[in-house]
Amino acid sequence: MSSLSKKFEELSSVYPTGTSSSLVLPLLHFVQEEKGYVTQEDAAAISDCTGVPAIQVTEALTWYTMFRRAPAGRHVVKICRNISCSLRGAERLIDHLRKQVGVEVGETSADGRFTLLTVECLASCGTAPAMQVDETYHENLDEAAVDRILGSLR
Amino acid sequence: MEVRIDGTTIEARAGETVLQAALRNGIDIPYFCYHRSLSISGNCRMCLVKVEGVSKMMPSCNVSVAANMKVDTASPEVQRARRDVMQFLMLNHPVDCGICDKAGECRLQDLQYAYGTPRSRSSDPKHHKRKLYDLTPRIQLDNERCILCSRCVRFTKEISKTNLLGIVDRGGHAYVERNQDAALADAYSDNVIGICPTGALLSRDFLYKSRVWYLEPVRSVCNGCSRGCSVNLWRRKKEWWLRGELGEAANRAIYRVTASDNPDINGPWICNKGFDLHKTAARERALTPMIAGAAATLDDALDAARRLLVQSQRPAALVSSQASSEELGAFETALGRRVKVYTRQDCAPAPGEVTEDGFLIKADKNPNSYDVHARFGSVPLPAADTLAHDLFIVWGEWERYALLGRARVIHLTAYPPPRTPHPDVHIPLSTWVERNGTFVNFEGKRNRFERVFDKPPLVAHAVHVFERLAS
Amino acid sequence: MSVERVFFRFDPTGDSHSLDAYRGRGGYQALTKALTSMQPNDVAQEVTVSGLRGRGGANFPVGSKWSFVDRKRGVVYLCCNADEGEPGTFKDRWILEHSPHQLIEGMLLAAYALGARHAFVYIRGEFDLPLRRLRAALGEARASGLVGERILGTPFSCDIVVHRGAGAYVCGEESSLINSLEGRKGYPRNKPPFPAIKGLYQAPTVVNNVETLANVPWIVAHGGAAYAAIGSKSNPGSRLFGVSGHVARPGLYEHPTGYPMKAIIFDDAGGVLGGRPLKAVIPGGSSTPVLTAVEVENVTLDAGSLQQAGSMLGSGGVIVIAEGTCMVRLLHVLTRFYAHESCGQCTPCREGTSWMNDILTRIVAGKGRREDLDNLRSIPQGIMGNTVCALGDAAAMPVMSFMRKFGDEFEYFVEHGRSRCDGRLEV
Repeated sequence: MSSLSKKFEELSSVYPTGTSSSLVLPLLHFVQEEKGYVTQEDAAAISDCTGVPAIQVTEALTWYTMFRRAPAGRHVVKICRNISCSLRGAERLIDHLRKQVGVEVGETSADGRFTLLTVECLASCGTAPAMQVDETYHENLDEAAVDRILGSLR
Repeated sequence: MEVRIDGTTIEARAGETVLQAALRNGIDIPYFCYHRSLSISGNCRMCLVKVEGVSKMMPSCNVSVAANMKVDTASPEVQRARRDVMQFLMLNHPVDCGICDKAGECRLQDLQYAYGTPRSRSSDPKHHKRKLYDLTPRIQLDNERCILCSRCVRFTKEISKTNLLGIVDRGGHAYVERNQDAALADAYSDNVIGICPTGALLSRDFLYKSRVWYLEPVRSVCNGCSRGCSVNLWRRKKEWWLRGELGEAANRAIYRVTASDNPDINGPWICNKGFDLHKTAARERALTPMIAGAAATLDDALDAARRLLVQSQRPAALVSSQASSEELGAFETALGRRVKVYTRQDCAPAPGEVTEDGFLIKADKNPNSYDVHARFGSVPLPAADTLAHDLFIVWGEWERYALLGRARVIHLTAYPPPRTPHPDVHIPLSTWVERNGTFVNFEGKRNRFERVFDKPPLVAHAVHVFERLAS
Repeated sequence: MSVERVFFRFDPTGDSHSLDAYRGRGGYQALTKALTSMQPNDVAQEVTVSGLRGRGGANFPVGSKWSFVDRKRGVVYLCCNADEGEPGTFKDRWILEHSPHQLIEGMLLAAYALGARHAFVYIRGEFDLPLRRLRAALGEARASGLVGERILGTPFSCDIVVHRGAGAYVCGEESSLINSLEGRKGYPRNKPPFPAIKGLYQAPTVVNNVETLANVPWIVAHGGAAYAAIGSKSNPGSRLFGVSGHVARPGLYEHPTGYPMKAIIFDDAGGVLGGRPLKAVIPGGSSTPVLTAVEVENVTLDAGSLQQAGSMLGSGGVIVIAEGTCMVRLLHVLTRFYAHESCGQCTPCREGTSWMNDILTRIVAGKGRREDLDNLRSIPQGIMGNTVCALGDAAAMPVMSFMRKFGDEFEYFVEHGRSRCDGRLEV
């Protein structure tokens, strides 16, 4: 049994009966956590186990911004560009990140270490500016903190 | 119940929406995404109306009628909303009308003329999306023209149930996309072309063949199976006939086929085979009567056939399920008691053709088997060595005369008969688009078709053939 | 008289989120009381009497929403909306991080009142610590017989499933959340039918915000009347207000409704950064109309007061803007956000949000035109009230209010091709 089918079985026992289409998002998350991104084949496999039409899985894959369709760097840096973070210097830090990582927003560094993305509100408005690197939140940022965080990651 | 729309009292039915009640009473509320045979989407926002007692305007496609409801569809607020929706729809819509097949039958064009403003309020470049590509071998998609009404998506989800189409990506980036499995087929796919309110989805077969205002529809019936869906066959209008050589083909062509709404039989849908009727109608024809393989006049051929019949002791006829009820009636009157009648379902499914599905397509690929059965019962042709007829009138297509035993053959068919051996007499017949008539479908429902073209000069109508044979 | 607190009743430590700590401060006593001595209708009644309104931003009376559910329909679902995404709002994550059991207890009480056998927490896909703390708390609760079959040995059973979102602000809208939970894009639904009639898998469904549900244990423990006595009469209770932007001490402050806006900015949050003059305040999350410094002089954090001032209480996210901030560039941050988050389903929002953003993008690049100002005034009117969900309105209101209150800055930018305030967002 593939790891996807195993995950589907496990989730099916947790979710109420008759809600297998709800498993599309958790399974998309699962694939991305295992592999770092989600392909059309993965979408087709999710369609097969949940019974949800393949086009509907593709719709979800393309509509939610957290899912990646192609591999990213070893670490994904997501810095908030919304209002409270902007009022507290997010633009300055985005510029700093672009220079430090050496890429434009949306790109991956040549050494494959970092992908730099801007994201919308992370609900860290009281501790702005904030960014999320992989799963971890980093708040109350300044240039020094950003450099420390990046420096600690291979 | 009674509902007031713009001060007029109309009669509304329980369970109806305001939009349905209005349309049924001849009140024109504009809409794009609503379609009476699809689920309610309520996303185009063109049908917004003001319901008394509700502060926001509501999409009339999703408001159920209630007794004594008062609806306003004409106030400045409603007019302003329609203007705004049109402005938003036209904001990034490419000005393709000059090269777009949909012009002249385009809902977006029509509603823009009626409710939009002549100038855009934006002078920014329009957003670009994928243009003019093959969604399937039959359908062209242009994502810039698309207004994301989702009718096509709902069709493949709810009606053909193939889930071929979806809308991917978010916000202004959204676009219609197909299931990536190229092998996924939809036998009803072309219906999305008709329900698309813009030129986003177009028939590749019909692409650039003609402007639609040069054409007119003729109500006909599909002969592809025993459901006998109502179709429209489109021909060139008389006043737009071309002269000279160009005209010879163009004036006798069926340019395209569309579904004709028939609530009793097929609703607003037909299958792809129906959409291809113009191809079946354009098959190579038999145009010259033949006696013993040699060309003859129609009169001579009919005389020869009649003499054969008079001289025969044990004549038989093999009747066609492609025949109209009028033709079957003429045959029955003229020859029904004179010849032994055998029946058949002429046309068998082609290899790979969908046989029966839970929707429109029937396994019997003939339009009038029901009437044949009603008149003659089911009398299949037995093995050739048991047959002892001396004359066989074969009606419809037939390949091997040897299967008819050692009989003379009069072959009545619209299409070229076998050459070796050739039939004793061949009389070319008209096809169903060259006459008026009726088919009776598998449920016993009668459906009338109308003549699209005159028949070719040397070709005979079957009813006249039978009259002559019996005289 | 000490002010009643519903949330900030303890000092958060490394352990204060645990089951033991929660029990130590009286946790799950309300649940025990409800399951052993109250009927579901009694619980619902207390909530109605309390006057509790939704804390997600819509401010709808909770008791009314619950009353629309017909328990006789069989399956009823409860969904906790933990998809906190309104810019300026960061209270729900605090509850999940520091008092997740308070939410769980609130959900169980709501499920009991509604007859919901299954409940979901729809949580931001981005959330890290809040997710881990919530999952840990649910593990503790299940192990202690507080969630699952026969809770506390009573006939009441309820399972809670944590369901992660995947990056979509619109999924905070209740019908969008439901579609997302069903495994689809988060397209909102046209209403009617409302979720309480036909929601998740067409069953009656109640969607409530984290903070809303986390109020319920207090209400059951102390009674609805006691809650109704806190704060403003028309929208009572003790709320978590988030203050962010140009203030010395950004953060969460709990106060009863009706607390003065000036107090939360200048007392709690230490005033404007650098002692600068106040320029503007967005009172309830980015979707609420902006107010000038003059307009907030006498305003209180109360639905009626803010409505009278031409704005809304919203999600309680107070965003403070100091003198010297370029309002044009700031609005661009917002139009970019709404264009990015528009789901794409309906015409006015899909086309209007990207249009407004394209215009702002051009203006801040120095390429604004006179007609842009006319368009920025008229486009929101084509959107307001005409969309499937409130995201359209949420995108329109900042544009309308910024243009109305700070229109001269926009005119300057268009005329001169540059900001009157050096394009400053940070002070």
